[in-house]
Amino acid sequence: MAQETTPTRVGKSSDFEPGAIALVEINGREIGIIRLQSGELRAVLNYCPHKGAPICKGFIGGVWQSSGPGDLSFDASQDVLVCPWHGFEFSLDSGRELCWNKRSRLRFYPVHEAEGDVFVSA
Amino acid sequence: MSTDTTLASDTAHRLKTELRIFDCDVHPVPQAGLVSLTPYLPAAWRERFARKQAVHDGLNVPIRFKHPNGSVVRQDARTPEGLPPASSPQHLVADLIEKHEISGALLNCFEAGGLLSVQASTEESIVLAAAYNDLFIEEWLSVDKRLKYAAAVPTQDPVAAAAEIRRVGKHPQVCAIFIPLVDLMMGHRYYWPIYEACQELDLPVFIHVTGIESIFTGTPTMGPGTFDGYLERYTVIPQIGMVNVNSLILSGALERFPRLNFIFAEYGFLWLPSLLFRMDRTWRGLRHETPWVKKPPSEYLHERFLFTTQPLDGPDNPLHMQQLIAMLGHDVICFSTDYPHWDNDMPGTTLRMLSDDARRSVFYDNAARVLRI
Repeated sequence: MAQETTPTRVGKSSDFEPGAIALVEINGREIGIIRLQSGELRAVLNYCPHKGAPICKGFIGGVWQSSGPGDLSFDASQDVLVCPWHGFEFSLDSGRELCWNKRSRLRFYPVHEAEGDVFVSA
Repeated sequence: MSTDTTLASDTAHRLKTELRIFDCDVHPVPQAGLVSLTPYLPAAWRERFARKQAVHDGLNVPIRFKHPNGSVVRQDARTPEGLPPASSPQHLVADLIEKHEISGALLNCFEAGGLLSVQASTEESIVLAAAYNDLFIEEWLSVDKRLKYAAAVPTQDPVAAAAEIRRVGKHPQVCAIFIPLVDLMMGHRYYWPIYEACQELDLPVFIHVTGIESIFTGTPTMGPGTFDGYLERYTVIPQIGMVNVNSLILSGALERFPRLNFIFAEYGFLWLPSLLFRMDRTWRGLRHETPWVKKPPSEYLHERFLFTTQPLDGPDNPLHMQQLIAMLGHDVICFSTDYPHWDNDMPGTTLRMLSDDARRSVFYDNAARVLRI
């Protein structure tokens, strides 16, 4: 997590629905606010650790699974952020890439809700 | 004179490294081409081939693709009696195995490759595959236990090919199954009956350049149009290796056949780092298109593939060659001479810049891991 600063109000709780990414700017940083399926919020720096793409302009995807060639299932329960450039997938739970053992990860900022509003410290 | 010099150099080097050598690509030929197969053909087929005057004693390619020096085989490898190179098991043992202190060699018949892929009809290819296999098992494997064999299959009929694998695959010196490729990528389900039989008998798939790719319809194709000659075609043959590594991994065939290994002969290997970098990077982003590919493509490659060293391309600077092989990993390459073909590499002059550990892997251990030798 980034060093905490004074929380900035970014909107009402009802502004952030699961499956959508809302972009806000705080202290010169573009940050995507994402509501997970659990109801929890994530504040993600709009920067892909792979090649610097605006990852929050990508989309929220689930995980495709298979037991073998031709067999396909879709696990929509996982919150995954997919980069619009190279398609790399990052877990919105851990910030890490789903299928690659890389040390780089998404940058998350502290986010909380209070009295119907959402605040991010960035 | 040059032979004596090579021999002396080979021996000295082996003594220094105590190197065991297995040769993964050696080409025996029936002494009189198709005529030699006669005793191994059913009577009706014998009559058929005689009536149509079927003679196949080489590649039988159009002249633009003929080797510029007249033949792909070394004329210095003829027997003392003047018989064709690699047409006598006794002479091959003396001229290759004994002379270069090789502990074993995997035989595969180059001519059978072209015939079985497209040059013979489907029905013909089924009886010819059996005849080739019976000839080599009876006349060659019985001569010396160090001779191993990649049994050829009639790829045009995968079910018949699987039956042939089950017919000959239990012979203790049959160590691999040679699939002469047709114009379908190797990950295609067409090949699954063949893979199933190979896996069942714990035999790796062996593929080898057939020499007729992009020359005859139905063979694997390389680019559009027609090559202008032997050299122009020869230099881009690695394309076929590249396409099939890609296909086998991304099709999920390796998940479908989890105990099946592959040996690619004569397709080169220095192109692998580039291919793997691209496969891994693209899989990371688009793997949901092939979710049956469960790990990075490069992991499958290291677990399931071997590539023969000959024809050995590479930079002049040995340090650069070391770096290229380090980048790839020496666990995926295995030594081969390609005896008695013109572009062969002999052990004393092959990859001498590698460490002793790497040389042990490349010259013997990697092959021993995959082949029952």
